[in-house]
Amino acid sequence: MLALTVTRRILTELWHTRRSLIFWALFPALMLLLFGLIYAGDSSPADSFNYTAPGILIGAAFFFSCLGGPIAAIVAERERNTLKRLLLSPLSGTAYFLGLLLAFLVVAAGQTVVVYAIAFAFGGSFRGSLMLGILVVVLSVASYVGLGFVFGSHFTKRTEEVNGPVAAIGVPLLVLGGTFFPSSVLPDYLYRIAHLNPIFHMNEAMDAVSAEGLGAGAIVDHLVFLVLFAGATLAFGVLSYRAMLQRERVL
Amino acid sequence: MSAVLGVDRVSKTFGERRVLSALSFAVDSGQIYGLVGPNGAGKTTLINIACSVIPPDAGAVTLNGRPVTADAHARVGVASQDVALYRDLTSEQNLAFFAALYGLTGARRSRRVAACLGDVGLQDRAHTIIALLSGGMRRRLHIAAAMLHQPDLLILDEPTVGLDLESRHRIWNVVRNVADEGGSVLVTTHQLEEAEALCHRIGILHHGHLVAEGAMAELRRHVAAAELAIIDAEDLGAVRRRAHELGLTHRPALAALAVWLPERQSLDRVAALFSGIELRSVTLKPVGLEEVMAEKTKDGKN
Repeated sequence: MLALTVTRRILTELWHTRRSLIFWALFPALMLLLFGLIYAGDSSPADSFNYTAPGILIGAAFFFSCLGGPIAAIVAERERNTLKRLLLSPLSGTAYFLGLLLAFLVVAAGQTVVVYAIAFAFGGSFRGSLMLGILVVVLSVASYVGLGFVFGSHFTKRTEEVNGPVAAIGVPLLVLGGTFFPSSVLPDYLYRIAHLNPIFHMNEAMDAVSAEGLGAGAIVDHLVFLVLFAGATLAFGVLSYRAMLQRERVL
Repeated sequence: MSAVLGVDRVSKTFGERRVLSALSFAVDSGQIYGLVGPNGAGKTTLINIACSVIPPDAGAVTLNGRPVTADAHARVGVASQDVALYRDLTSEQNLAFFAALYGLTGARRSRRVAACLGDVGLQDRAHTIIALLSGGMRRRLHIAAAMLHQPDLLILDEPTVGLDLESRHRIWNVVRNVADEGGSVLVTTHQLEEAEALCHRIGILHHGHLVAEGAMAELRRHVAAAELAIIDAEDLGAVRRRAHELGLTHRPALAALAVWLPERQSLDRVAALFSGIELRSVTLKPVGLEEVMAEKTKDGKN
């Protein structure tokens, strides 16, 4: 219940400012148009947008909203002193974390609608199971939010530091994850390393379901990796949040 | 009256530094208790202990007779020194969020939010986002957020720091209303006139020790003076020497000299004590908290 209270507050704040929401919609939309039209040169627009949409959704949309967003939210709590205020309330770290996760799931749902609306407009389609697609989206968002929680709790103290971990750690993971080009172009050794990258598994799973229309059996390895990774980052995220509260335990 | 907050021989050490030393006092229901002392005296540490954020090394803190534990969060309302609000939300949305954290829902939450907005005089700003409120308004709303769940004890850490006189008086009125309705308030401040004007009882904290405690009338007894004469003169050195000859305690008071009078005297008699010195003005004033603090902290510790 308290988690929903946190979710509602975060969404209300985002709605009031709107800037983040607009850019979180605009950026993947523009990236999809660009990459979709670039790759359409070698194939039909429908095929191009079919294969581009999953990567853009995972890499361009969720990456900035669900990784950068939680980091910014935690840093803002610290800078506004509301973190200490929350510490003095009955809100638990787990409820706060769940609230944040739910809020960014809502944002992610909105971005999914935007990305696929554009893909559909160019003749693209979602070929696989919708439920399986939703599962991949939820696991991807949970992984990003967990990572964001860890970065926000440990490595980022001020607003101006938010871009640091996102750029230094996140962008190489995006490139290695096959967001902007197929992972098949990676050299063998990088391809093997890419298997340790959660974004690789998000992209591969979403691509298989959305563009190839494959079932759960074909992506079970990716799902297992994402479940384990999401579970680990969520657990580590909650622990990081608790550790941060311990550090903040001075009014 | 029954004690809402009981602090019994509480001590706390951070590393080598002893921050609180066997501190004891009580806050009764309907009472405003002021903890005064300079920065670093231990006021905020005591608040952290009182709301179970950090444990004491020794001693006990009770709330309505029960030991303070993690569930104290629901029974205590705390407004920290730094305003903590969501600046992109409206006043009403901020209060509704904090009320929900304390389990207030539906119509009850709406009533409490409206009541607290009214208590702090911001009902006409309910739909204004925080970024558009003045500093004084934000601080009043910050205090309202601590009152929403009608806590047994309201703790205000430096509630008027940095505010203009009008805003300070508004906040004092809010605090007085809480006490008038039977609530208990613990206020920390280093503004002595605030403690004098607002608090029923005052504790003076110095280097972690409670060096004096009581109502203002009781605290005045710590000073060997019935009244103060604030004397301004061209030659303050001459006034100081005369006071010394007369055996009167004296201290600087801005551009003048405060002379401690052992008994009440008329202005003419005070002026006569300093005859032969050209005086610009003589003002008589009662002994205040400033003199009590000066007396109780003059030897560095106790």
